[in-house]
Amino acid sequence: MSNERIEFDAIVVGAGLAGSAAAMVMAREGLNVALIERGQKPGGKNYFGGAIYTHAIAEVLPDYQDRKPPFERPVTEAGFWFLSQTGLTRMTVQGGKLDTEPADAYITLRASFDAWWAEQAQEAGAFLIPKTAVTDFIRKESGEVIGVVTDRPQGEIYAPIVIICEGVNNLLTQKLGLIDRDLEPAEMALAVKQVISLKPEVIRARFGLSGEDQGLAVSVLGDVSLGLPGMGFVYTNKASVSVGMGVMLDVLAEYRLQPADILQRYLQHPAIAPLVEGGQLLEYGAHLIPEGGYKAMPKLYTDGAMVAGDAAAMVNALHWEGTNMAIIAGKLAAETAIEAHSRGDFSQRVTSRYEDRLKEGFILKDLKQYRGFSKFLETHPQFMDVYPNFVNDAIGQFFTAYGKPKQELFKGMLGGLTDRRSLIKAAGDMISMARAVMGW
Amino acid sequence: MFHALVAVKQVPDTTNIRIDPDTGNLVREGVPAIMNPYDAHALAAAVEWKHKLNGKVTVVSMGPPSFTVTIREAIEMGADRGILVSSRKLAGADTLATSYVLAEVIKAIHAEDPIDLIFFGKQAIDGDTAQVGPGVAVRMDLPIVTYAVNIRAVDLDDDTVVIERRTERWTEVMETPLPTLLTCEKEIAEIPFAPLPDLIKSLKYEPEVWTEAGPVEFDVNQIGVKGSPTIVYKMGTPPLPEAGEKINAREIGVQAALDFTFGKAEEAGVLSTMLGGAE
Amino acid sequence: MTARRFWVFIEQEQGKVHPVSWELLGVARNLASQVQEEAEAAGVEVLVEGVLLGHNVRGIAEEAIKYGADHVYLMDDPVLEHYRNCPYYQSIVAVAGKYQPEVFLIGATTLGRDLAGAVATSLGTGLTADCTQLEMGTVKGANQLLLLATRPAFGGNIMATIVCRHHQPQMSSVRPRVFPTPAYDPDAEGKIIPEDVDATEEGARACILEFIHAKEDTVDIEYSDVIVAGGRGLGSPEGFELIKSLAHAMGGVVGASRPCVDAGWISSSHQVGQSGKTVRPKVYVAAGVSGALQHKVGMQGSDFIIAINTDPNAPIFEVADVGIVGDLYEVIPAMIAEINARKEASA
Repeated sequence: MSNERIEFDAIVVGAGLAGSAAAMVMAREGLNVALIERGQKPGGKNYFGGAIYTHAIAEVLPDYQDRKPPFERPVTEAGFWFLSQTGLTRMTVQGGKLDTEPADAYITLRASFDAWWAEQAQEAGAFLIPKTAVTDFIRKESGEVIGVVTDRPQGEIYAPIVIICEGVNNLLTQKLGLIDRDLEPAEMALAVKQVISLKPEVIRARFGLSGEDQGLAVSVLGDVSLGLPGMGFVYTNKASVSVGMGVMLDVLAEYRLQPADILQRYLQHPAIAPLVEGGQLLEYGAHLIPEGGYKAMPKLYTDGAMVAGDAAAMVNALHWEGTNMAIIAGKLAAETAIEAHSRGDFSQRVTSRYEDRLKEGFILKDLKQYRGFSKFLETHPQFMDVYPNFVNDAIGQFFTAYGKPKQELFKGMLGGLTDRRSLIKAAGDMISMARAVMGW
Repeated sequence: MFHALVAVKQVPDTTNIRIDPDTGNLVREGVPAIMNPYDAHALAAAVEWKHKLNGKVTVVSMGPPSFTVTIREAIEMGADRGILVSSRKLAGADTLATSYVLAEVIKAIHAEDPIDLIFFGKQAIDGDTAQVGPGVAVRMDLPIVTYAVNIRAVDLDDDTVVIERRTERWTEVMETPLPTLLTCEKEIAEIPFAPLPDLIKSLKYEPEVWTEAGPVEFDVNQIGVKGSPTIVYKMGTPPLPEAGEKINAREIGVQAALDFTFGKAEEAGVLSTMLGGAE
Repeated sequence: MTARRFWVFIEQEQGKVHPVSWELLGVARNLASQVQEEAEAAGVEVLVEGVLLGHNVRGIAEEAIKYGADHVYLMDDPVLEHYRNCPYYQSIVAVAGKYQPEVFLIGATTLGRDLAGAVATSLGTGLTADCTQLEMGTVKGANQLLLLATRPAFGGNIMATIVCRHHQPQMSSVRPRVFPTPAYDPDAEGKIIPEDVDATEEGARACILEFIHAKEDTVDIEYSDVIVAGGRGLGSPEGFELIKSLAHAMGGVVGASRPCVDAGWISSSHQVGQSGKTVRPKVYVAAGVSGALQHKVGMQGSDFIIAINTDPNAPIFEVADVGIVGDLYEVIPAMIAEINARKEASA
């Protein structure tokens, strides 16, 4: 066994959505890419709601449909559910804009999807090295990154460019000095979910889906999180349902709550329990989600390295967008790496072009726009309790007003709001919400 | 040059076997396939000695093509060469037919490249028979040390090996001439975290595939189903044990639970035994 | 073949017999009686015979007769004083070739397992390991009753019955304590037949340099009347102190489930289960043991099983005579106190 250097043209750290995308794009251009994954298999350590957005997949793999991605169901119905203590208001849309082939979003399970995604990278020629964790960088005296150190003996790998897709626990990004401060708990959410098995016929019946090629994706607001800043979700898989929620870490700590307890409460809610009844718990898991948005983003590049995906806090919570940002960012980082190789220059002069590319598309624009959103939810808890309760009560009153004078009905409905929050404050809330969402 | 040969087998991870509550059958999906743990420790020991004596390790596995991943794991763990003996005609073999095939293969390798030690795990966790190792030793007319827990010394000049063998009552320190076959307990070596070059080598490794047609020609009457004197005549489910009574100490209290327990013990006639024979 | 011979390997080490040998004599006698009618019709004798190897072990041969052997083939020679694979299997193969036994049973001890595979391979016959049921039965295509050897497979969920149709002897290994000890008849009579031993010291090839008796506990739990076993529910190796206390109070020994042994909490000599020991004590207490199949198969033959577990759905409750849902750290100290109190009361 000789002691030759292990060398590649590029290294990607993490075979998740950003990493495999980056590896795929570079390998297709003929670069020798090492895709390093600390898990046994890609995806083993990844977890989400959730749905994959096809626009992103198509950007990297235009022929993805021919490669049989392991989608569970297309999202043919989507919307919001508002939970109050005992009530549920559903606001979903089906058909119309959602009736496309292929669908804009497909409900997926990460273990199988990430594995398939990494296989595509391998088919393009990337070399996957599993069961190996990157622990540090190899750097020139000047600080330029020229490789990585892994946790295995004789574990150094050299490459002139490294793309970091290490996920939410971005220790390597920190090691490179790209973050000037520690992330605060207020900038992270803990998402917990259960995957509960149900026969497809049962899913059809309970969720009103007309076939196996129909799927439901909802965001749940209100009592799901005991009035705390957070959102719940429900996704229908082929033969199971993913139900879960995310709550901000600082809130969990302040209230000394166990996420498992909140999730249990959610599942026992009178409107939710019947939906999962009789099912068997297949999986239970949790994952951190970076919610700091724009303000929490690290510097995205340096000499010899770039950062993409969760590691770069590329998540838009309101729109459940993170996976598509990761994929596109991975692609853009890869294109920058290819450019660096053709110019023979791996310094910031070229890696900065990664940020330029990001600004052109939606990623940085949206992250900037929504930079106040998570904080907004925290400072406006009424969106988690008052308003969902009001909506449920008001609509409930509407449908139980038979035989009552309708003037009183409308007074009563309005009273349901003004009892909890004055009209002026409510109006102010709506304006603040618009500002948080529009980024003003 | 020191040459060790290790026989490895892929097995379902029997600690993770579940029963389907509806059908009462084994749930086979999602049961990961692993290298038989005893084989893995045996291989780790072989690799340890390869490094000590500057030698090499060959692994052999008899099984279907899916065993390729296990041979790659062996390369990751430090083996230099991997041979997969695979063919439909070899399938359905019981321990006698298996030891025949393995012995023929190992003899062929030995003829080209003399082997000093042949390692087996003490038993496979799916079959649990512990018969193939001793079977191969007999066919190759080699001394065998089973339940090996430590290799004390290998002397390539004298051609001897000293091995500690653990039985129920004591440990025997055995000295045997080389080549020797040993079957190993987990204690014989710890499985190391592979160096990156070995992992990378394993990811690219394609095992040599030997079939019943070559490079070794097997006697068709001794392989596969034909060469297996034992057959599974029938399968059944074990009789369900009758469960006794379950009480909740948290509801009725610990003392009440104990009173109930001792009462039942008395009914069963074992109370005096429980009291250490003092009644 | 003038007789149908049912053979049992009589295992001894350093002059001490392993009791499984007697258990197997009981089984052999049972099997022999099942072919009695068929044999008589053919005018053939049925014999239960022991095979004993060692040096200066004639006394053991006599004991074997009291446990039911009609004959004992005795190979007594210095080369056989301590067990070594080569001289033992070669000697057995020689006598087997001479007498052509129909069935051959060996105890599945470390010695037995070292030996059985070598004998079966050498004789080119079939060997079924760790059998839990043995009987002679009708098999399609066979002109006489054959040995039906049943053993657990896939962690004990399936029972597989194996037959060896065209080869003899039909061999089986059996774990200690699967079968009961047969009655000892001090008046039983039989013949001890000495056989020549051709094995030589050179041919033995293995040389035992020393015996190391362990300083740490290598306990033989298989023959204890009381076993208190700890499982993962103990939470830590220190939990075994409590287990030891209860075992001591009951005059028994400590057992353990496989995860505890794998985690290094206790030595493997205490392991009960598929890859450990099979036990059938009068009383078995399982504390913090979930009762996975691999464990159950090793202890479900116990006379009285008490299980303590915080999980009411733990599979161990399916085999327990009394199942206590509770915290073992509360229940066991109380149990010890109760035992001591009752002992005092009757003292």
